[in-house]
Amino acid sequence: MESVQNLKKRLKSVANIKKITKAMELVAATKMRRSQEIALSSRPYALVALDLLANLTLIEKRRGLKMPELLEQRKIKKVLFVLVASDKGLAGAFNSSLFKKFEKYIAENKQHYEKEEKIFAAVGEKSFQYLSKKHWNIVKKFVNVGDYTAMGQVQPITDFIITGYLEKQWDRVVVFSTHFKSALKQEAMVRRVLPVDFDHVKETVGDIIPQTGKFAELMKKQNLVFTGSEKSEKEYVIEPTPELVLEQLAKHLLFMQIYHVILEANASEHSARRMAMKTASDNASDLGQTLNLQYNKVRQASITNQIIEISAGAEAQT
Amino acid sequence: MKLSIFSLKKILFQGEALSLNCKTLMGEITVLDNHETLIGVLASGIAKVIDNGNQEHFFEVASGFLEVKESNEVRCLVD
Repeated sequence: MESVQNLKKRLKSVANIKKITKAMELVAATKMRRSQEIALSSRPYALVALDLLANLTLIEKRRGLKMPELLEQRKIKKVLFVLVASDKGLAGAFNSSLFKKFEKYIAENKQHYEKEEKIFAAVGEKSFQYLSKKHWNIVKKFVNVGDYTAMGQVQPITDFIITGYLEKQWDRVVVFSTHFKSALKQEAMVRRVLPVDFDHVKETVGDIIPQTGKFAELMKKQNLVFTGSEKSEKEYVIEPTPELVLEQLAKHLLFMQIYHVILEANASEHSARRMAMKTASDNASDLGQTLNLQYNKVRQASITNQIIEISAGAEAQT
Repeated sequence: MKLSIFSLKKILFQGEALSLNCKTLMGEITVLDNHETLIGVLASGIAKVIDNGNQEHFFEVASGFLEVKESNEVRCLVD
């Protein structure tokens, strides 16, 4: 049986661990709520931008104009994969489930990507570590994207993607990130962001509302539903030129998408961490209870022992 | 006219307005009631909105878009 001192030490360290994990849990919970709020506040913008894109593409098509490069499909030779993961660990299965999804996707689409050159960009320290371990060709790494993404932090990432695309360093951009379904459920998912096309952007925008929880109801109340505009076709005066407007819009949409993907990854990271920390503190309190019981038993046993000794000694005297 | 100004962070303005003055790539324009339909790209500058109570509102614009719809509705996306 373990000594009383030893047990006491262990009991103390378990209590400390519990305190720490509890604190981390609370911090992660607040951060999660914040990042969810930020993600949602960009929704009206996203919807209007999408509407504008729909209108403009219709006009362009009708007039038979040339699409700007960002919207154009071209022959695919090189593909850029962007993996969005976290900087720090202790977030449960958050990172590993993303990497698993990535591996599965690569395995499934092996034939598809066989002829194409694969290039990788890492967002987050963990994804960089993962990719370097696999010896993939990493062109760039972005870290410190922050607890809540600021627009200034997303700008370098989008700039990098757009410049590379226009310089034909890659012909398609696929992003792997975590979709925030609800506080309890996150899912790794794959999105194609470049070339920009209406359906793919719509998908991302649709994902902005979580399916359940406080915010889902809020969105219903605000009645922000995208109608998919096939409505009356009116003539717009477009300044300066339709091509230029579309090109600008495509850039904005890409920025918005990346911004969103990262925000969502943030929210998912925080909620994954919250869950992990909750389990950790639950485990710590379980462990504390068992240890406490054991400690009491040992203490009681030693007292009994001492009493036996004393009474045996007293008996021997008489 | 009905005016809404959106940014990625929040809705900056939503409601009835008398005029909107802003810089576009083609120059400075003022949108009044029943303006013809227009799509434009905003340039960096200050957007000035006068609402129905003759109150002035100012917004900073780095870049963005302006869309005037036929139903006397104006929407702006600003960054």
